[in-house]
Amino acid sequence: MNTMNDERFFDLAMKVIAQQATDAERAELNSSMVEEPNRKAEFERLQAATKLAKEVVPLLEATESTAGEFPGYARGRLQTKVRETLGAHPTTRQDTEKKAPWRWQWILGVATTTAVVLILLIPIFTPADKMIVQVAMLDSAGSTRGANGDELTILQKLERAGTVQSFSRSNELAAWENSWPGKPTQPSVKIIYDRTAGEIRVSGRWKGEPFQQTFLVERDLETTLREVENFIRDQTGNGLRKN
Amino acid sequence: MNPPSLRALQTGDAAAWDEAFHWLWPTVFAVAQLKLQPFLPADIEDVAIESLEELVEKVRELKSVEELKPLAASIAHNRAVSRLRERYAAKRGAGQTESLDALQDNAENPFDPASGDSTLADLGQMDLARLLGELQSNIKPEQRAIVADFFLHGLSYEQIAAKHGVAVGTVGVYLKRGLDAIRRAGERHPKLLKELEAFLR
Repeated sequence: MNTMNDERFFDLAMKVIAQQATDAERAELNSSMVEEPNRKAEFERLQAATKLAKEVVPLLEATESTAGEFPGYARGRLQTKVRETLGAHPTTRQDTEKKAPWRWQWILGVATTTAVVLILLIPIFTPADKMIVQVAMLDSAGSTRGANGDELTILQKLERAGTVQSFSRSNELAAWENSWPGKPTQPSVKIIYDRTAGEIRVSGRWKGEPFQQTFLVERDLETTLREVENFIRDQTGNGLRKN
Repeated sequence: MNPPSLRALQTGDAAAWDEAFHWLWPTVFAVAQLKLQPFLPADIEDVAIESLEELVEKVRELKSVEELKPLAASIAHNRAVSRLRERYAAKRGAGQTESLDALQDNAENPFDPASGDSTLADLGQMDLARLLGELQSNIKPEQRAIVADFFLHGLSYEQIAAKHGVAVGTVGVYLKRGLDAIRRAGERHPKLLKELEAFLR
């Protein structure tokens, strides 16, 4: 078989497979396969490769697609999955500022560059179990802003708030978030209010079992804190406020 | 948009995952759409989100960031096919599945890629991801474009030549190279090779 014949055979085979061949072209291909039986095997291999091509080429094109916006509503669900599967790591300050939800802009006011984390340590003792509750607030707008104080007051309503600590680096929050007080069996809860992400993350251990949940602050902080309290009460039987 | 750091993703860095979700969304959405648009268009977004969730579970198995998109696409593909099969099985009664090829019988375009039953559907997730990664590297974009124009868009040699500004004779050469690359990649995957051999019998 010479090169020209090979090319002609391939082109005819392609047209027949793609149903673009004329009757004359189809007859020419059939005649070629009768004369040279190995052409029939090659035609079948081309059919199989074509079948695969028709499936993988659209898939490849889809794989490389760059069109379409990630829907914001899916973020919370997916980030919860990340925390549950890979462990909790906060976003960096730079990133959280970049992605701050629009609903927080009215609270944040003029953007600043200082990140401050305020931590409240609230030990809660009940007759049955001693549960340690730690509350942290990530405030990327700095401690001079008025809203910061208002929100701190709301958090302090959780009662028994002790020392307030400030951090300027997000990795300190990460270290805090991953450091649990006491023995692994110590009942404890961490509540992290991330202002810029507009969410409260709760993680804890109760009777040796871990639990965690993320709450979006959609309406206001107090409302969301009540949801947080209900969640913790469901998990542990403990509330967060003085009776 | 640049790919995120794989190491950051594997350690659960929330910011890196935010970037990854934005970067990978077009892929998982487009793949889910490819399979589901004709039958279950309302399920596309749901399958895309579930695919990203599953990717989170599998990210620690990856060795390079280049594997992310093929794996995301593979997960989305297999999830979409499962969704189709489940939905049509449910319609026909528990435990029964319906050939989705049958649903294509009346399709005008004989090359409609939306069939749920496919050569690729039974490939394992990692196998399909590897196949896609290999094809991304081995088929040049112009070869892929010409294969797509001929088999998927139904253009003739002459129309393709005019569209891409090449000689008519070159169209055949590109088609042959593209098909050869796809065939070689298929032959490297035993399951796929088996499928292709079964097709020839």
